[in-house]
Amino acid sequence: MEDWMISNLVTVGLLAAMVGCVFLIRRSRLWSEAAVELWKRRPIAILCVSLYLAVAILDSIFWVGGVDTGEDVVSAHEAKSVIDRLFADARERSYSSPFADVEFYGGKALAHPGSHPLGTDIIGRDVVYLALKGVRVAILIGGLTSLIAIPLSLLFGISAGYFGGRVDDFVFFVMSTLASMPGLLLLIALIMAMGRSTLSICIALAVTSWVGFCRIVRGETLKLREQDYVQAARVLGVSEVQIVLRHILPNLAHLVIITFVLTFSGLVLSEAVLAWLGVGVDGSWGQMIDQARSELSRDPVVWWNITAAGSALFVLILAVNMVGDAVRDVLDPRTLRERS
Amino acid sequence: MLAYIVRRLAYGAMVVFGVLFFLFVVFFWVATPDDIARRALGEKAPAIAIEQWKENHGYDRPLWPWESFDNNMLFAHYKSMLTFDFGRSDADDVPILEKIAGGVGPSLALTVPMFVLGLVASVLLSLIVAVFRDTYVDRMGIVLCVFGMSVSILLYIVGAQYLIAKLLRWFPISGFDPSPDVVLRFLALPIIVGLVSSIGSNVRFYRTVFLEEVHRDFVRTARAKGAGEARIMIHHVLRNAMIPILTQIVIAIPFLFTGSLVLESFFGIPGLGALSVEAIQGNDFATLRTMVFVGSLLFVVAQVVTDVSYSLADPRVRLE
Amino acid sequence: MTLVVRRLFSLSGSLSVFAVLAVLMSCSNNPYSEKDDDVNVLYTVYSEAPKTLDPAVSYNVTSHSIIGPINETLVEYHYLKRPYELMPGLAKEVPKPNVLGDGRVSYTFALREGVIFQNDPSFELGGAGKRTRKVVADDYVFEFMRVADPGVNSPVIHIFSKIEGFHDFGVRLLELRKDPAFKAMPVREQYQKAGPIEGLRAPDDYTFEVVLTAPYPQLIFWFAMPFTTAVPWEAVQYYDGNDGRPRFADHPVGLGPYRMTHYDKQFRIVLERNENWYGALHPEWKAPGAVYPGEGEEGDREKGYQSDELAGRQLPFIDRIEFRREKEAVPKFNKFLQGYYDKSGITKESFDKVIQGNDLSPEMASMGVSLDRVVQLSVSYIGFNMVDALVGTSAGDRGRKLRQAMSLAVDADEYIELFLNGRGVPAQSVLPPGIFGNDPEYKNEFRAVDLERARRLLVEGGYPNGIDPATDQPLKLRFDTAATSATQLITIRYLVDSWRKLGLDVEVKSTTYNKFQEKVDNRVHQIFQWGWVADYPDPENFLFLLTAAMADKHGPNSANFRNAEFDALFAEMKSRPDGDMRRSIIEEMLGILEQERPWIELVNPVSYVLFHEWVNHYKPPGFEISTLKYQGIDSTRRGELRREWNVPVMWPVYVLLVIAIAIIAPGVLSLIRERQ
Repeated sequence: MEDWMISNLVTVGLLAAMVGCVFLIRRSRLWSEAAVELWKRRPIAILCVSLYLAVAILDSIFWVGGVDTGEDVVSAHEAKSVIDRLFADARERSYSSPFADVEFYGGKALAHPGSHPLGTDIIGRDVVYLALKGVRVAILIGGLTSLIAIPLSLLFGISAGYFGGRVDDFVFFVMSTLASMPGLLLLIALIMAMGRSTLSICIALAVTSWVGFCRIVRGETLKLREQDYVQAARVLGVSEVQIVLRHILPNLAHLVIITFVLTFSGLVLSEAVLAWLGVGVDGSWGQMIDQARSELSRDPVVWWNITAAGSALFVLILAVNMVGDAVRDVLDPRTLRERS
Repeated sequence: MLAYIVRRLAYGAMVVFGVLFFLFVVFFWVATPDDIARRALGEKAPAIAIEQWKENHGYDRPLWPWESFDNNMLFAHYKSMLTFDFGRSDADDVPILEKIAGGVGPSLALTVPMFVLGLVASVLLSLIVAVFRDTYVDRMGIVLCVFGMSVSILLYIVGAQYLIAKLLRWFPISGFDPSPDVVLRFLALPIIVGLVSSIGSNVRFYRTVFLEEVHRDFVRTARAKGAGEARIMIHHVLRNAMIPILTQIVIAIPFLFTGSLVLESFFGIPGLGALSVEAIQGNDFATLRTMVFVGSLLFVVAQVVTDVSYSLADPRVRLE
Repeated sequence: MTLVVRRLFSLSGSLSVFAVLAVLMSCSNNPYSEKDDDVNVLYTVYSEAPKTLDPAVSYNVTSHSIIGPINETLVEYHYLKRPYELMPGLAKEVPKPNVLGDGRVSYTFALREGVIFQNDPSFELGGAGKRTRKVVADDYVFEFMRVADPGVNSPVIHIFSKIEGFHDFGVRLLELRKDPAFKAMPVREQYQKAGPIEGLRAPDDYTFEVVLTAPYPQLIFWFAMPFTTAVPWEAVQYYDGNDGRPRFADHPVGLGPYRMTHYDKQFRIVLERNENWYGALHPEWKAPGAVYPGEGEEGDREKGYQSDELAGRQLPFIDRIEFRREKEAVPKFNKFLQGYYDKSGITKESFDKVIQGNDLSPEMASMGVSLDRVVQLSVSYIGFNMVDALVGTSAGDRGRKLRQAMSLAVDADEYIELFLNGRGVPAQSVLPPGIFGNDPEYKNEFRAVDLERARRLLVEGGYPNGIDPATDQPLKLRFDTAATSATQLITIRYLVDSWRKLGLDVEVKSTTYNKFQEKVDNRVHQIFQWGWVADYPDPENFLFLLTAAMADKHGPNSANFRNAEFDALFAEMKSRPDGDMRRSIIEEMLGILEQERPWIELVNPVSYVLFHEWVNHYKPPGFEISTLKYQGIDSTRRGELRREWNVPVMWPVYVLLVIAIAIIAPGVLSLIRERQ
């Protein structure tokens, strides 16, 4: 099974899951009111994030053939995403400034004059294309890492909070150990050990970031355990697993969502720093910034690379942060209770 | 009370043990003793030199206790760390203690001003914002904070180097020289970048803390009794908010020593952070494990201090 | 406004005024202390802290640039003459090899009498109150014994193994060291007990003889490198790192024109004039290594490197040399522009600012900067692992055609233009220009871009249009690299794109340096990129890289190229003197490489050196030799220009100050009003 086929399947699965979530939300009055509230507060930020998501999804659907790739003979055999196809024949030889007709240094005529809104990079790739390719990378990093870290935190946090005793001690011990090691060093070491594929970087990021949420989960679980209905369920002999699944987990749902959104931006920013230190994901904005920072010292200055990557990064992070704040306000247990 | 302290210390010791083990495992996953030797000796080194180097530095032993109980590297690793016998760097044979002593100065010169100035600035700004809560100033402030938080530190660094050092020529772009008459110049830019990049999230944090206090009953009571706004802010809100603020400070102290890895790397400040990054990229296991060990030791001590001071302040905690 | 608010604002305002004043006071981009303005000092850079300054061990550019002026050698390279020529240094003459009957060869060095070491407290070991002593032949023998000592870990131990008894000495030492009592003895005594080395003789204090078991004409070049300097046993014994003394690796004690006075390897190293240098103590010798040369190359007079006034003048010219660490290229270049470094290379980012057309840009010229170009004695190449099943020897004709086709697709000219700003010449063969055997007219038939021919070759090789008949997909190949930075990866991306035009799908596998070395050691790499910088200017130093003997583990023949005919020719040309016979053998060897294509030769880098108008008679060498004693500085002129160029832009500060006062004022006013 080729990589791109897996990507297609996962994308379809994700879309299906999203549709499923929409149905679930509509069925619950609590959640749909929260959603409407969220939309009212931050329409622009939500639209922004959705736009990025849409680009990422478009960049995750691949198929082979049907596009003219010019000189690059091999490309004709490779799977190309929707985004790839839009920019398939936009290669130049080297730098060009936005909307230019000639090369930036030397003035040779371009192959596609006037068609690069943000110019081209040192080997002639269109900068808008590169920035768009970075969207999928960023969303993957935030999403995949959270997908690994959050279940990990839930597993350990709930076990620690619910079962207490030795389990709690052990989990607390692991958390303290991880927390007292300098995060960046550990991150670099893990990535050097596991290689620089997207998956290993996400695993490394997950390992260094699950502790924070785990503590919160543990605290919440401790509180929930003392609730009357939970006590009642235990007395009645309901199995532990059932209790966790039916009473504890759903009550943590709002925390999960808040954490997911709030830590998303932190993860993407961390990856940018990793890229600068040489251990980031290929094609990320961090890598573009790393490469572009020496371009700022050129004379005349090559500014479009770093502007594109920097802005794309900034807008995404800003939008996610704003949505995150709104999510936290909307899902704050106090307001939730007040509304219901 | 004493029992509590002892318990906490014992727990801390266990954590340090765990850290050392984890470190050993991860590092030898990344690099083998051959790799370390080759890095130290350079590319053109012949095989016999590599064998000799490994023997000189104790890397020719088996790694794990189950391979050889009396003579393995894991036990040697624990022994040397716990007796504070850090030995010499794998990269250049300099005693590690010397390297650390040399790096502490620049690191602190960078992190302490950054921390103090950052603290003062954030507390002040968040007090202002809290006083003006729910007004235009508050909203503007929040927006600015979120904007500030959303900019990657890389962009701050690039921007600062370009604008301030290159265009305005106020400070050198990077580098370091500890002579007292020039040292300030080299620190100014990284401190500014560190301040600006973290002020956004700090102000938000403190604002939340202050607002929580402001909404408490006793504040309402004080206001009803006719106390002035100033007195309320300073005597009630600030004092009660001191606990979370102090916690933050104590927890931050270990990181003052380990240095800011990113800032030191990009501004060429030869502190402990830069030392750690170099150790990792240069396969210098001896230096790296010392840095991590010292860092986690400081962190554990800070944790114990916080816990103990909490329990002194709040008896309920002790009973846990 | 309420009182609280006013108080808060005035507090903030005061703090910001304070901050602005602090900024004003420390404002200056001068990285050096002001008291060093206008002093006869040279400022130069290094990027990586040297690992060791022990002359027996250090083998990289940074360490050599530092110990070169400290640890002078028996012979040296002439500063101006090209092609590079050896001349006497601490020896009176450059010895010719003396053929002894039974295949052995000897070199006899006549040492200058009256040369003494720099002053150093370690010489107390030789007698109370002693700060220095005469340099004798035994000091050279001692250093060679250190190189032979496996415990020292010298990377050139195998080069000198051709000396009679060299290897056996090392073996004896190891054997004797098994006895802890022996091991505890000071090193000099250990050597005396384990020695002597038959091939190293000191018949008297000022004669040093080296006997080789077989001829090795290139040996004499190694005598121009710090490995062969004279080392005082007192320094090695004294500087053992105990009791607060530094280690010898951090405290070199030598006999050159400079000595080390400050060593903070992370950011600052300082060398100062050595008053004990033979050039300073005995100007009457007019030793070639102690005076500025009177002869040079054509064009040296015009460039100011050679003049009647300079000829015969005593060296060195500069009192002090400051090495500063700069990890990043961009700040380093900017400091050069500001006058804080005296010379610089050109980064690719600043290239267009500095060079326009083929000369200095008007902006640079108006600053008084000069430019010199030197082709480096080095070559960078893309290599094929000849042991690989797909691209290597075992793939026979198919593999060869594949390699040839890939070689025809790489456009070195464009590569140089895009990534090196034209600072290089496309390499046609293993030998760079300036090395005997390099023919400036020679054009490698596979190093001119010809995609049509490449495609035909692929068809012949069984990969029509790059398609692998086994999978019906583009042929999958691997490019293994240890590069992780975005800038390096993009150059590899460029190469990959060239091959994609042929229909070959080359995947880039970028890993850590460790994993890359592992792959190379285990011979599982496929395509890689590497380079070689000459140790000395002889073709043997390049051609040996492709001999079978070097393909063993850790050897530099990472392409694992083994060709019996090539090896036979190499053995023949190795010891020959330069001449027609040698040239024709080399031509044959290059012909084999041209057809077999174990390497795709890429670039011979050209280094562009910029220097300010206050730097005098600095002629940049094409490979790494120490020339600091020949350089001169006009520090007064430098001081003037630096001050002129570095006036800080202050208006934003004043604006900020005004704003800060505007914030304080209301608060202060209200305070005053309240008092009344």
